[in-house]
Amino acid sequence: MMLCRVDGNVTATVKHKSAHGWRFVICQPITADGVEIGSPTIAIDPLGSGLHSRVMVSTDGKHATELLNCRKTPIRNSVIGIIDT
Amino acid sequence: MKLGKVIGKVTLSRQVDSFTGGRWLVVQPLNREALAGKGRPTEPSLVCYDNLGAGVGNIIGYVEGREAAQPFEQESPIDAYNAIIVDTINYMPPKK
Repeated sequence: MMLCRVDGNVTATVKHKSAHGWRFVICQPITADGVEIGSPTIAIDPLGSGLHSRVMVSTDGKHATELLNCRKTPIRNSVIGIIDT
Repeated sequence: MKLGKVIGKVTLSRQVDSFTGGRWLVVQPLNREALAGKGRPTEPSLVCYDNLGAGVGNIIGYVEGREAAQPFEQESPIDAYNAIIVDTINYMPPKK
């Protein structure tokens, strides 16, 4: 799991059929102090996180297949929690 | 999934059977600076399987690792798979 900050979102009309209807957010991995590490990644967001909120991103592909209800989805990252403190 | 810009195509004369029907794109991964519109991408480019129909100049979301092979019927030797063709990016990192 990664600690990330939501830096924006992405829209796409043409996508893998399993991802239809899902929201994509740009997640920037950060340290606990808020320092950025590496390049941003894209995750599906079932929780509706806001801009600049800190989130927990799971890289568990099995969880994504269950969430999207598609065994053949290429999606891997998903937001699994919005961090308060 | 990561964002990358399509900068070219690859064509093959022979390929593994499960790849029939797809195309191959040369993709330049986008880092923070490139997404914000300042600075150049620094990571090496990669080749990505595509069956959505992305063209040169498009920005795509590609998946790497085990999940890249998941959409195929049979086990396939693949490293990167184009999952979305991006229409708009709203990238607004906090100002320091």
